[in-house]
Amino acid sequence: MKRALLIGVLLSGVLALVPLTNDAYWLRLGTTMLMYGVLALSWNFIGGMAGYPSFAVAAFLGLGAYTGAVAQKFGLPMGWAWVAAGLSALLFATLLGAALLRLRGHYFAIASLVVAEVLRELVNSATELTGGGMGLNLPVPSMISVQAQASFFFYAMLALVLLTFVATVITTHSRLGFGLRCIQQNEAAADMLGVNTTAFKIAAFALSGVFVGIAGAIYASWVHYIEPPDVFDVLYSVKAIVMVLLGGAGSVFGPLLGAAAFLTLEELVWRKFLEVHTGVLGLLIVLLVMFLPRGVLSITQLWKRPKDHRA
Amino acid sequence: MLFLQILANGLVLGGLYACIAAGFSLVWGVLNVINILHGSFIVLGGYLAFFGYTQYGIHPFVSIAIAAPLFFALGYVLQRTLINRMIAAPVLLTLTLTFGLDLMLANGMLAAFTADFRKLILDPPLGILRLGALVLPIDRIIAMLLALGLTGLLYLTLSRSRMGRAIVAVRMDREAAALMGVNVKHVYALTFGLGALMAGASGPLLAMIFPISPLTGPVYLGKAFVICVLGGLGSVPGAMIGGITLGIVESFGSLWFGPEHATTLSFVLLIAILLMRPEGLLGRKGYA
Amino acid sequence: MKRLSFIARVSTAVLSACLVWSSPLMAQELIRIGAPLPITGPLSPEAKKLQNGINLWVEAVNKVGGIKVGAKRMKVEVVYVDYQSNTPRAVQATERLITQDKVDFMFSPFGSGAAKAASSVSEKYQMPTIAATASSEQVYDQGYKYLFGVYTPNQTLTEPLADLVAKQASGVQRVAILARNDLFPLAIAQEMEKSAKKRGMNVTYFEKYAIGTLDHASALSQIKSQSPHWIFATGYINDLILIKKQMADQGIEAPVVTMIAGPAYKEFVSGLGKGAENVTSAAWWHPAVRYQGKDVFGSTENFNKLFREKYGLDPDYGEASSAASGVVLQLAIEAAGTLDRQKVRDALAAMNTVTFFGPIKFGPTGQVISLDPPVFQVQKGKQVVILPTAIKQGNLQLGVK
Repeated sequence: MKRALLIGVLLSGVLALVPLTNDAYWLRLGTTMLMYGVLALSWNFIGGMAGYPSFAVAAFLGLGAYTGAVAQKFGLPMGWAWVAAGLSALLFATLLGAALLRLRGHYFAIASLVVAEVLRELVNSATELTGGGMGLNLPVPSMISVQAQASFFFYAMLALVLLTFVATVITTHSRLGFGLRCIQQNEAAADMLGVNTTAFKIAAFALSGVFVGIAGAIYASWVHYIEPPDVFDVLYSVKAIVMVLLGGAGSVFGPLLGAAAFLTLEELVWRKFLEVHTGVLGLLIVLLVMFLPRGVLSITQLWKRPKDHRA
Repeated sequence: MLFLQILANGLVLGGLYACIAAGFSLVWGVLNVINILHGSFIVLGGYLAFFGYTQYGIHPFVSIAIAAPLFFALGYVLQRTLINRMIAAPVLLTLTLTFGLDLMLANGMLAAFTADFRKLILDPPLGILRLGALVLPIDRIIAMLLALGLTGLLYLTLSRSRMGRAIVAVRMDREAAALMGVNVKHVYALTFGLGALMAGASGPLLAMIFPISPLTGPVYLGKAFVICVLGGLGSVPGAMIGGITLGIVESFGSLWFGPEHATTLSFVLLIAILLMRPEGLLGRKGYA
Repeated sequence: MKRLSFIARVSTAVLSACLVWSSPLMAQELIRIGAPLPITGPLSPEAKKLQNGINLWVEAVNKVGGIKVGAKRMKVEVVYVDYQSNTPRAVQATERLITQDKVDFMFSPFGSGAAKAASSVSEKYQMPTIAATASSEQVYDQGYKYLFGVYTPNQTLTEPLADLVAKQASGVQRVAILARNDLFPLAIAQEMEKSAKKRGMNVTYFEKYAIGTLDHASALSQIKSQSPHWIFATGYINDLILIKKQMADQGIEAPVVTMIAGPAYKEFVSGLGKGAENVTSAAWWHPAVRYQGKDVFGSTENFNKLFREKYGLDPDYGEASSAASGVVLQLAIEAAGTLDRQKVRDALAAMNTVTFFGPIKFGPTGQVISLDPPVFQVQKGKQVVILPTAIKQGNLQLGVK
């Protein structure tokens, strides 16, 4: 555990040098990559460790973004707005988890996917509060320079990723992490052995939500304008899953690797394959799912499960 | 009177919805695969009908007969070559696989046909039917009847033909069916082919009523989800009940809560049913 | 291996030398304008129109040698970037154009939503930006100094229309409004509600429909049950064609039916055929207007003529407004005599002139306040201007089936 933490801190140190290049493009790309890192690490709690296919990342991201934005609209300073976003995501994830985690497999996947759709429409219709379909503008910090703003948000995301990473490391080496891995192997057996499966699952789900919520709020402040279809986009959920699959589910550095690799691919594809970029993304996903998982750590563990069509 | 009109709207819509979902439900119930491509297959079928009509004068009703074997073949081959490899894999992977495939198909259609909404307008138009104070567009009524007919044909196939009974056997118990000599791999491919057939064949029907665009695929898929959960997996009568229920819920939901909430309402219903009765109104337990 | 890497290094050095040597030559003589557009995705039809307009302007300007900057003339190059109809990408594209492609000036992305989002970036970098298609006041309410829009606010469309209906169709009392839940369509629907109420009309129905709605039957059944005199529907062309068709499906008839923003496009009329008859609409421009301008096109008629020659059809307001943004930028640069962004921005703010698009004067928020938007109606398959009186081609016909 100490080794992983040390590597994490070192990496952060290296990344912290990026803003010194003063290049707006790299800063933007970097901030996005860090955000992807948060999404991937978060999904890892519920998807990688517990084995529950959650598509709720988009719901948490949107919720966090709007909580942060609305809080700022009502005058709350940015930092506190982010905290508020995190708390609301935590609360929501806990309650949602308590309701949904009884479901397994496909049913859980669909329910978690649909939650984002429902949230999006609710936000869309609350026009007075959220601007509805007209979107919501966030105040631009006019005091500091453009360069400083870009660096600031980079550091904010970096801090968040580090936080999420530390949470991941601690969880992996704790009873919670052990319990989650048992649940993934065989939930019924884990239950019989005395693992409090319900509590553990909810904890994992809550963890998968809180950091994503904060990321959403930081994102909203960073881009200054959000609309429901942008932040409640189901593609964020899919990307989180693909990133973790790419890098290695259940492991500590896997999601980060996956996030970096995915972002690189995405940026190259956007620049080169304009018309067909989603198609190329789809192709990548297909190839990944069909060929790569065999080589990746916990997927081989899943493979060895007895042939059971439940979940 | 408004009440009756809304009810009629819902019933007509419901018949169409049943057709959308029947094939999807079958594939999910038998293969335990959620075919994200289903929505895009419907749109592709719609394009077939649209271009058939505008370029060659082929009536959409005829297009149904053309689409059916084409999509069956497409589904069969797709399943046999790609999806079958993943059949034993965890839910997450098969879902992501079909999701990736759907991205490719949707992008392909977008590149080929652009995002412009195409409207298949029959010339001469079929007009409207007035029953007292009720007003019903004839094209919808005919589409609904055809949709019900198609769904009925599927049901008959499953219950009467050898192929159909093999499919049902695999759905009930895979190992037992294999022990009885059923070629499970072949059955899987057949089922997927049937699912694709239903999607592709309902395309022309829907094209007569709704606009066609690669962007409408996810909308149909979303409805298929809700109907499957409402009616139960792998059951054609279930898809029927689920479809009609959804049609009515959407119509009245639109009236009572406002049109922008119609879809949200159906999703809330989905979550509620999942929590209370996951096997749906008519389904059997299992495949949780 | 060693030889390969040596060759690689030498060729890289040679290539970079060539690039460094050639780029100052290339960059010098051109004015580069960034244009992020939704070239792919659901809004791609709109992007096509904007490109038509912009390209026509670029052609016209380069034909006379370019824009006059002080003593010399500089040609124009537009850098298009596709943001896939996705607003966050529009913001990214704007940032990229400004910081990486280092363009001199910017055009806004399509529509009010994306224009608003991207305007924060423009303001951050103090980049003069012209919005060709953003009309909602909400886009301009942030106190930004670098955003200028050539569409007048939404109420300039609804007020004349409401006036006309109130005078010529005095029996109109009940109004039903169905709006797409999107920035512009919702904003203009809200303005319509205000305009109608101001004239003592009764808005009995006001509902929003979600983006991507395929079936309006329920909403329309409800509207029908109220027998409104005036039905007002907002959305983009696909929504409106669908709504009108479903109205016919349910046998809905009313004295006045207004739709914004579809009927201005020829696709609306061709998509609906007889169903489009007597539908009214309003827009910020119409090929029937007649202005003598101080711009490179000279007059509306000349613009129409050049457009028809290049594209084979009459221009609509989207195509005209994008060309107008180019025209406005050109006039500002020529007035300022320099490419200095601050000075060009000030020239824009001080502008008070006439162009083929109409008189151009920007208000304090950056939105143009000088236009007189035409109201028109589809009569016998053609768009006929019924307001303003100076250029009207026909009268309001009541009764829509």
